Amino acid sequence: MQFLLKRLAFYLVAFLVAATFNFVIPRMLPGNPADIMLANANAAMGPAAREALMATFGFVDAPLHEQYFSYLKSIFTWDFGVSVKFFPVPVTDMLMQALPWTLFLTGAALLVSFSVGTLLGILAAWRRGTMIDVIASPTALALQSIPSVVVALCGLYFLGVSNKIFPTSYAYDPKLDPTWSVEFISSVAYHGFLPVLTLSMVLVGGYLVTMRNNMIGQLGEDYISMGEAKGLSDARVRYTYAARNALLPSVTSLALSFGALFGGSLVTEVVFNYPGVGNLLYLGIVGRDFPLIQGQLLIMTLAMLIANFAVDLAYVFLDPRLKRA
Amino acid sequence: MKSLLKTFLRNRKAAIGLSIVLIYVVIAIAAPLIAQYDPLGRVGRPHQAPSADHWLGTTRMGRDVFSQLIYGTRNSLMVGLLAGFIVTAIGTTIGITAAYFGGKVDDVLNFMTNVVLVLPQLPLLLVLAAFLGQVSPLAIALIIGVTSWAWGARVTRAQALSLKTRDYIQASEMIGEPAWRMILVEMLPNLLSIIGFNFIGSVIFTIITQATLEFLGLGSPLTLSWGAMLYNAQNASAIIVGAWWEILAPCGAIVFIGIGLSLMNFGVDEIANPRMRSLGQVAKALKQERRLNRQRMQEAKQ
Repeated sequence: MQFLLKRLAFYLVAFLVAATFNFVIPRMLPGNPADIMLANANAAMGPAAREALMATFGFVDAPLHEQYFSYLKSIFTWDFGVSVKFFPVPVTDMLMQALPWTLFLTGAALLVSFSVGTLLGILAAWRRGTMIDVIASPTALALQSIPSVVVALCGLYFLGVSNKIFPTSYAYDPKLDPTWSVEFISSVAYHGFLPVLTLSMVLVGGYLVTMRNNMIGQLGEDYISMGEAKGLSDARVRYTYAARNALLPSVTSLALSFGALFGGSLVTEVVFNYPGVGNLLYLGIVGRDFPLIQGQLLIMTLAMLIANFAVDLAYVFLDPRLKRA
Repeated sequence: MKSLLKTFLRNRKAAIGLSIVLIYVVIAIAAPLIAQYDPLGRVGRPHQAPSADHWLGTTRMGRDVFSQLIYGTRNSLMVGLLAGFIVTAIGTTIGITAAYFGGKVDDVLNFMTNVVLVLPQLPLLLVLAAFLGQVSPLAIALIIGVTSWAWGARVTRAQALSLKTRDYIQASEMIGEPAWRMILVEMLPNLLSIIGFNFIGSVIFTIITQATLEFLGLGSPLTLSWGAMLYNAQNASAIIVGAWWEILAPCGAIVFIGIGLSLMNFGVDEIANPRMRSLGQVAKALKQERRLNRQRMQEAKQ
């Protein structure tokens, strides 16, 4: 319990760092920070709306520390300002609309790549030096060094454009209404297939290599020989003995891969014109919509921290020593 | 140093990786000799498929893709090396300092490292780059350099911590060697493999991230780089009109150097931890073991 509370406090600090970053960056540039933030303001924005938006970002007539607290207050009251490009839509509304798609994409990709990568890693370590190891390990290594932009663009070209097997944009057929019907869900799965595949390809290599290396470390331990000597079946020794223990460091490294996961999803969404946070961010960058760009940093940070906390929980579950401590 | 290089080259993966990277270095240096056209000039009709005149076709602007690719190599290598250097310098300094001094220093530095590790890196970079406007490759190298050191700091610290408990380190401490000598002469040489690993990994990461940032439109579209080529191709709807060469050429360049660099890194890893060796040697050893076992079984039966 104490372990989890400690982690929560740590995540709070991390979130504050991201918020501070947002606060400091415009103020470090030459020129008036408020003008920079609102440079591309929509013509529809009147002086009153402009005032309000400036107050949200802490551009008030007060000393710097008061500006800072004013900004923190807006963030913690869930007010990220309004988009200057899509005025007057609040940034939080836009992000909340896009977030489920991003979570769907990242969640599915994480599930696929972690289970496939870990399973292949176990097998590659178990049959070290055989076909599966000789093929899977270097392929994983190669995949790890391929950027998601490249995988996404190649997937889009080969499976979307030149062979027309999968759709090349949107999260579902725009002719359908979003309901829980079979037709709609299958359309979502169909449209999500390529983006999820892309993202999984980028991640699977890392999980495979980590699991393989952990397994090799475990296989040299005495308790493995003990299990074998007791006459347990291969599968039992492999999964409930070796893999169970090799999984711990793998779960730790899982947390480290969230950066790649969320970063990869930003890019994948842009390539496949998928309506998630990444695509929104792209619109923000193209229109130099700074409130939107800053808002996505906060949302992505939140997502990262929650994902990390989930890993902490899983860790407590997997490592009973932590529960007692 | 010479023996170090020899060990490195005796590893087959490292040697192949190094030769791939060297090919890129030669291309970068000899770019004006290899490229037949001005990479920014209109030298052909738009979107021509690869041919004898234009080996990798032309862009929508009628620019020669092959020449752009060759000149882009310079940019990507320079940015990769510069950012890799910054990342490694910061990460190594923080990692070793934290591990060597321990206590409060370690607490603060380790906390900083962990905070940076849980922040989403690409969104962070995007905010920085967006505020700086369309940034030059040099600025990209700098912002990647100062935001990406945390992973290196973490692994260097872990390695340095285990080093600190070794007898020879404690012995030199007893003799009363000054801190700088302990760090630079006693510890640093034994951390070379992890530092090298970090450096090469950072170069790969930078090349990938630079391409990503530029693809998202945060680079200057006038630079000659693989990322800018992807951005321009995307803007010209190259995929939709079937100009696959415009997309696949820079993709191939990025993938190939990524593989070269990670082969080098696998080599470094294998030299540092012989347990990780796979492929050739292990396969051979295991096969031999199985054959021996079979022979013994047969002998025992007889």
